[in-house]
Amino acid sequence: MFNFLNEVKENVKNPKNFDLNGFNIINISGKLLYVEGHTGLVTLSKELISFRVKKAVIMVEGKDMILSELSDNTIKICGEIKKVEQI
Amino acid sequence: MKWKNQTKFKISGLNQEKLLNELSKSFTLSDIDRQSKNNTTFSCGFFEHKKVEKILKNKGVKVESVTHEGVFFLLKKALTSYGLIAALVVFSALFFLQNNFVVQYEVTGLDKLSKTEVVDFVKSNFPSKKSALDTEAVEIGLIENFERVSFASCIIKGQTLVINIKEKLLPDEMYGGFAPLVASEDGKITQINLISGTLRVKVGDIVKKGEVLVDPYTIDTSGQMKKVDAKAEILADVYFEGMANHYQHFIEVVRTGNVVVQNDITLFGLSIYNFKEENNFKMYEVETEDVDLIKNLFLPFKMRKTYIYELKENVIESNFEDVKEEIVAKAKEKALEKCGECDNIKDEFYTIRHLSGVTIVNFCIVIEQQLAVYQNS
Repeated sequence: MFNFLNEVKENVKNPKNFDLNGFNIINISGKLLYVEGHTGLVTLSKELISFRVKKAVIMVEGKDMILSELSDNTIKICGEIKKVEQI
Repeated sequence: MKWKNQTKFKISGLNQEKLLNELSKSFTLSDIDRQSKNNTTFSCGFFEHKKVEKILKNKGVKVESVTHEGVFFLLKKALTSYGLIAALVVFSALFFLQNNFVVQYEVTGLDKLSKTEVVDFVKSNFPSKKSALDTEAVEIGLIENFERVSFASCIIKGQTLVINIKEKLLPDEMYGGFAPLVASEDGKITQINLISGTLRVKVGDIVKKGEVLVDPYTIDTSGQMKKVDAKAEILADVYFEGMANHYQHFIEVVRTGNVVVQNDITLFGLSIYNFKEENNFKMYEVETEDVDLIKNLFLPFKMRKTYIYELKENVIESNFEDVKEEIVAKAKEKALEKCGECDNIKDEFYTIRHLSGVTIVNFCIVIEQQLAVYQNS
C-alpha cells in the first residue's frame, strides 16, 4: 500500500544514515498537527501539548488546542499551532 | 444531530495525561479537551463505552457525566423508552378495531326461554360488526323464530347488544309436565291444602317416601279427565329414628403393658441388619414406626421399629339401668343426625326393648314438614 511518508523517506538523500524510523509529524496549515510514533502524552492543556517520542519529547505550543484523536501511536492536534519544538 | 456512534465522558481528577495514555493503548480517543486543570472531556466509540467506564471506575476516576450520541444509541433508546409509546399506539389501534364489534349479549325478560338459545340464534344469524348489525332485523328474527316471544327490542350499548324480550302468557297447565306429587319422606299427614289435581291421600294417612299424594288430573262434571299440574301444600309429621344397643356382658381387649421391640435397618428397602426379640404373646397387636437412622446421610439408611404389645381380654358386666341415660343420649344423637338441620321438633320419645343379653333403645324425633314434592317428568 502506498504510504506518502515512506515514499519521502526512501527518496530523500540521507548521507549520514540518520535513523528516520522514530516518529513522523505533519503540520497542516498550522491548524492540524498529525503525529505518528508517539509513546505517551506528557502535558495536555489548551496552550501546550507535549508528548514523548523515541529519545525525545515534543512540545507543541498554540492556542485553543484540543486533541482531536489519541490512539496507541498517533495523535491529531487541532487548534492554532504556533510552535513545535523537540527537546 | 450527530450520526457517529460515540460516547462523551467528562472526568475530573489529577494526572489525567497518564489516564489518557493508558486508555489510548486499548481504545482510540477523540475530541480530548482539557477544559481546566482538573476537568477533561473526551469521546470514545459507543460500543466501547462500557469498557472505558469500567476502567475509569477501577482507576477511581470521578466521572462527571456520560453522554451518548449516534444512530445506534437513538435506535436503542427508541426501542426501550419509546417501546411503551409504541405499545400504547398498538393497543389503541387494536382497541379501536375491536370497538367496532359486539362482544357481549345481554338478554332480559326471559322466563321460559333460555338465554343461550336466544344468544346462539343471534350470533349465528346476524353479524357481530356494529355497523352491519340491524337491530330491527334482530327483533323481527326473534319474533318469527321463537313462538314464545311476543315482543323483542334490541339496542347496542357500547359493545353489548341488549335484547329485551317479552314472552307470551300461556295457561299454567301448558307449562306443566303433568307429573304427580310424591312424598319426600315417610310420615303421617296432618294438613292438606290442594291447589290443583286429584288427592290420593287424606289427613291421618301414613305414607312412605315416593308414594303418590296428588295425581296430575281432574275429572270435570261431565266425567272427562283433564290434565292439570299437580299442586298442593301437604304437611306431615315425619319420624326420624336413632338406635343404640346395650350389652349386659361384653369383652374388652386391653394392653397388658408388656411389649417386645424388633428393629430392622434397611437401605433402599432392603433389610441389611435386624434385631428381633422373641414374641411369645398369645394375643398381641403390632405398631410400626419408620425413622431415618442418621440425618443428612447420603445413603438413606432407615430403621423400622416394630412394637408388639401384649393384649388380654376382660369380660365386662354392665347393668343397663346404670348407663341408661348414656345409651338414650347416643340413640338421640343418631336420630338428630338423620333429621339434619330441623329446628321445629314437634315431639320426641324413646322405646326400650330387652332381649336376651341385649337392650335396644329406639329414639324417635317427630318433625312437621312439607311432604309434597312436585316432580317434573
